[in-house]
Amino acid sequence: MAHTLPSSDQSSDQDKWDSGGLECKGQLLIKIVMRNRLTALVVDGDTTCWVLEQELLHSYGVQTLGVDNSRDAVDLIASDAEFNLIIIEKILPVLNGLAVTRQICEIGVRCKMLEVTACSRESERQAFLAIGVDVFIERPLDPEHLVPILRELDGQ
Amino acid sequence: MERNPMRRQLASLRKSLFDQGYLDEQFMELEQLQDDANPNFVEEVVTLYYRDSARLIVNLDHALERRPLDFSKLDGLMHQFKGSSSSIGAKKVKAESTLFREYCKSGNAEGCMRTFQQLKKEYATLRKKLETYFQLARQIGPMESANRPK
Repeated sequence: MAHTLPSSDQSSDQDKWDSGGLECKGQLLIKIVMRNRLTALVVDGDTTCWVLEQELLHSYGVQTLGVDNSRDAVDLIASDAEFNLIIIEKILPVLNGLAVTRQICEIGVRCKMLEVTACSRESERQAFLAIGVDVFIERPLDPEHLVPILRELDGQ
Repeated sequence: MERNPMRRQLASLRKSLFDQGYLDEQFMELEQLQDDANPNFVEEVVTLYYRDSARLIVNLDHALERRPLDFSKLDGLMHQFKGSSSSIGAKKVKAESTLFREYCKSGNAEGCMRTFQQLKKEYATLRKKLETYFQLARQIGPMESANRPK
């Protein structure tokens, strides 16, 4: 089941997309101005992390869709939904992160994939990078790792 | 300098959470994401964390009752717990999670159980402190509920 961020957002959510402002705020959030509105899929079984990741992306003007299990993620991708960025957690309900990432790559997705996980062992990191994940980072997702990726996707 | 005593108290409480190592910079990250559109973001995320983590603690408790211990399952549960905890900046809880996972890796049952008891203590303490913090913040008003780092 796909959810959106629980917020007092005024925009109509019938298409399930959330969006935020184009400028980002605060000192800890690295300031950048995005030229394009990027889209991201966040796949994370843990609500806390998932909410935070989406909010962080929103603060950079990225439209996000969130799912909390592998099956929905694969279904979405297989149905030709397009994203600039996919963020996946390693441990997920239904299929584990590695298996779902592999499936997504096999479908032929050509967007940036970012793996986020609580702790990583080098062997796991290598396994993910080998099947096509672009970036593998430890939780929590932070601006320091996210901003260069967003810049690159924005063509800056 | 805050003239209002309640605001001073809130600022001091917040500072002590960082100084005493209960929270790390990730919590400030949450505060930065809070704004007029999302005035209660920090408390909302922390409430979600309580929900997620409470469930995981119950599962961990059950898993620790089994004999023999399934270290792989315990490790998986703690992996998730660590993930949530690090997302809100729960520094001490995160440290105990890491230690727990080390004990799982080396198959040390006693270490796991001891660490888990400590983790639950840290978790309970953090939860209590944060509840006090948010209660005070709510009394002061939504605008001051997150002190911007100076």
